[in-house]
Amino acid sequence: MPTVELNREDLESLLGMHLPEDVEELNEILAYVKGEVKGLDYEEIRIELKDSNRADIWSVEGLARALRGFLGLEEGLKEYRVAGSSGVEVYVNPRLKDIRPYIGCAVVKDVKLTDAAIRQIMRFQDKMDQTYGRNRRRTSIGLYEFDLVKPPLHFTVAKPKEISFVPLEFDEELTLEEILEKHPKGRDYGHIVRQFPVWPIFMDSENHVLSFPPIINSNDLGRITEKTRNVLIEVTGTSYETVLDTLINVTVALADRGGAIYSAEIHYPYLGMADDVTPNLDVDTIILDVSYVQRFIGLKLKASEIIPLLEKARYGIAESSETRIVVQVPCYRVDVLHPIDVVEDIAIAYDYNRIPDEWPQLATVGKISDETIFRDYIREIMVGLGFQEVLTYIMSNPETLFAKMNLKPSRVVELANPKITSMTCLRNWLLPSLMELLSHNVHVDYPQRIFEVGYCVVHDEKRENKTRDIEKLACVNIHSNANFTEAKAQLDALLSNLGVKYDLEETRHESFIEGRAGKIMLGKKEAGIIGEIHPQVLQNWELENPASAFEISIDQLRQHKYGR
Amino acid sequence: MVELRENEAKTLLALKEAGGRLNVSEIAKKGGLAHAAIMRAALSLKSKDLIKITERKIRKVSLNDEGRTYADVGLPERRLVDALARMGGEAGLDEALKAASLEKGLSAIALGWLSRKGWGRIEKKNRVVRLLKEPSEGADEQLLRLLKSKGTMNVESLADEMKDAVKLLKGRKLIEVHEETQRELELTNEGWELVKKGIRITTEVSQVTPELLVTGKWREVKLRRYNIKAAVAPIWPGKKHPYLRFLDELKQKLIALGFKEMAGPIVELSFFNCDGLYMPQDHPAREVHDMYFIKEPEYGDLDRYKEFLENVRETHENGWKTGSKGWRYSFSSLEAARLMLRSQTTAASVRMLISEELEIPGKYFAIARCFRPDVIDKTHLTEFNQVEGIILGEDLGLKDLLGVLKRFAIEVAGADKVKYRPDYFPFTEPSVELVAYKKGYGWMEFGGSGIFRPEVTLPLGIKVPVLAWGLGVDRLFMMKMGIEDIRYLFSYDLDWIRRVEVV
Repeated sequence: MPTVELNREDLESLLGMHLPEDVEELNEILAYVKGEVKGLDYEEIRIELKDSNRADIWSVEGLARALRGFLGLEEGLKEYRVAGSSGVEVYVNPRLKDIRPYIGCAVVKDVKLTDAAIRQIMRFQDKMDQTYGRNRRRTSIGLYEFDLVKPPLHFTVAKPKEISFVPLEFDEELTLEEILEKHPKGRDYGHIVRQFPVWPIFMDSENHVLSFPPIINSNDLGRITEKTRNVLIEVTGTSYETVLDTLINVTVALADRGGAIYSAEIHYPYLGMADDVTPNLDVDTIILDVSYVQRFIGLKLKASEIIPLLEKARYGIAESSETRIVVQVPCYRVDVLHPIDVVEDIAIAYDYNRIPDEWPQLATVGKISDETIFRDYIREIMVGLGFQEVLTYIMSNPETLFAKMNLKPSRVVELANPKITSMTCLRNWLLPSLMELLSHNVHVDYPQRIFEVGYCVVHDEKRENKTRDIEKLACVNIHSNANFTEAKAQLDALLSNLGVKYDLEETRHESFIEGRAGKIMLGKKEAGIIGEIHPQVLQNWELENPASAFEISIDQLRQHKYGR
Repeated sequence: MVELRENEAKTLLALKEAGGRLNVSEIAKKGGLAHAAIMRAALSLKSKDLIKITERKIRKVSLNDEGRTYADVGLPERRLVDALARMGGEAGLDEALKAASLEKGLSAIALGWLSRKGWGRIEKKNRVVRLLKEPSEGADEQLLRLLKSKGTMNVESLADEMKDAVKLLKGRKLIEVHEETQRELELTNEGWELVKKGIRITTEVSQVTPELLVTGKWREVKLRRYNIKAAVAPIWPGKKHPYLRFLDELKQKLIALGFKEMAGPIVELSFFNCDGLYMPQDHPAREVHDMYFIKEPEYGDLDRYKEFLENVRETHENGWKTGSKGWRYSFSSLEAARLMLRSQTTAASVRMLISEELEIPGKYFAIARCFRPDVIDKTHLTEFNQVEGIILGEDLGLKDLLGVLKRFAIEVAGADKVKYRPDYFPFTEPSVELVAYKKGYGWMEFGGSGIFRPEVTLPLGIKVPVLAWGLGVDRLFMMKMGIEDIRYLFSYDLDWIRRVEVV
């Protein structure tokens, strides 16, 4: 979820009111936009916004716009209009089709930018690029000093060494290739274009570079300051919808600072793709059945009660009857995909805490799964045998599963992107987890008897997820007199209490002492292993007492017992 | 009647026999009891005012190694005197010493003590030694002899001249003197009265044995009273793990509220963990920072779910028949088959929704291990348990969801009051966060919930509203246990697991 940093004074001046100092009171207000204060100092507020789709409120302007509705300062639809054409035309090079095909532009004139406002716009741009723009892969934003740009503009391509310009924050000309190597933004985002033979470039009619999307702007044209009055906004990207949605949000945020919006004309060379005039600030309409609202909230709200709630949430009303409301969705609400999104806003405006909560009267019967019931029988017997239950991780590593257990490695389910060196795969047997736990407790009172009922995971090509979860029981006795006989007596006790007959078949297993290890056989199927732990294994785990253990598949026990 | 234990009675009787006064080691000798046992009895008798205990310091003397040698072969000066006597009372110095066959280094000692004791004279000029008298056994020699035969003697019990010999021999470093505390017990008047009345000794027994029971001897013996307040060695019972017990109890509560248990696999198809939940394929939460993917094989098999997959694909691309705009991108069926570790229990809910066993109305829950690539610290685990569930039924709405949350807060967490806040999940709309107040703990976030989006339910063939909820069980457990470090949930600290209280 996105976190935004705002200047308090800037937010208050856009809101037109003072905000409470108290964090709890502030949170009550921010709850309307699913926000929560994460940090507060003299002039900065850090807010976590849970909704990762509501890009409109990641700008201080948009946040103020939304809150003004809920606080009753300004309700209803906020409409933005294109004042006219900026006269800017943008020509798109066909070679961009597979690289970065889409662009949208707008001009906002007569905007007043304070230092704080510029900082907020930069933060918003950054947040949009990272989150909504998927780290600039899907979309990226560029802002320019419109008065220095000479239209028509060209969204075109260049070879890595073909063009050079002075990038932002630099004072020397670099080729595109040099930018990827030397400029911090080039190093961060270069991977987006590097695979292509030619790279996107945004230029004006006099061949001045505006930017190298999505990497960096020109230091000459692509920098706005407090003196900037007229701003050119450009958004490029791989998703047409997202490019336009992003452009709308940057444009209306600037317009909220008193600017007037002018459009640009985009000429696409792609087959079947018409020319475009951007930004498109049309309101969308959604038809809302009153019964639908009533059903999902669970309140018998009338249309006349719903309408003020919609207006608080800054929707417009095109027309309404007792059963139907035609809702105008403002252009910047790019998150509204379905009428249900509007229903939620109605509920928020109504206030969740005013909705009478009611336990649903449904005739359902509770039931514990058969697996849980059987597992609990086993846990009960193990506790009765004096074992302490433990809980360990399913994630493990080959060192723990094999090397320390005196075994040669075999195939396990590995992670493609392990985060921690001790957790690179899923365990295929349970005993190593218990040995690891014991190795942390050599100074704790002996005797120690522990068990775990836990999952192991193995490959299984026949299954849809290519793996199989096996629920197992493992237990270990460790103390100065621990031996095979003790473990066998416990296994006898467990299985006879479960009413399961078993055999032991002598086996060679490197984790156990030769001649003191056996396969646990249920009929003809091997279901587990029992034995006295090999001294080398004890030494590997730095344990100084003998130990005996067994491990058995609960799934197999259950199948053997019930035939399922 | 004064209650007497076996050793106390024996001690009193020994004192009576000895005329009322005896020291502890003598009682020990007579009664065949351990010194420590008598001291325990004595202290107990003293507390009943039956005896007095007086302490005396005594000095004890015994031979050291050198003294033991001299006790065997005689003091060097005695050996020299004996040689001189054999030689006629006078001899050359060297000859006399040779005849005494004194070990090296002893000659000077022998000569020195000879003249000091006035037994002989040494004429240095002509190197002659002459015997002045044939001395009888001196007190020092007597002491050596006595100590040789008795081992240890009490200094105070010696005659005065022997006491002087102790000083002398101590000066010659032939004996050891050490101090001991001797305790003497003496009957008080009450003690005398009691023993005069007569004391019967009954055998005391600490452990009741099968033999005592079978033979009936238990009637004749006295079962020793114990100090029941004395500390005992700890024993560690077999127990369930505290967190698993907590989850067991939670399970029982959910069953009582009419929920059925559901499950799903650990290695999950992205389809169930993400796509089926209307999470777009380029959603940031689907990147490597937020989910674990399987190295090999990378993809699972979605053949069984072709119809659902097609519905989900269309919903993502254009909204399908759900009334939604959709995410408007090109959906990859291969990506939906990517294998990952379940990152949210909601995956089990998706499986339940397409299960043939699904009942409407229905309530289901799952407790499942989930995995996310977080670095483990005080507040994060990379592997953890989640408790989630769904409720399906005609006409369910937000008010029902709030009712469910309230019931959970009060019945599961014992909260006093609740508050609801708007929340966000990609797969629910509306979404609600439950904040609960519990006395002593204040307000705390307790769980997340919502109504599944139509883009989730309709492609899976579900036409009724589905309420979905998840509970912050980790936090609830930590609160119950008073722990602040989430790593304790998977603690390797056996001592903690053993000590943690069941209730």
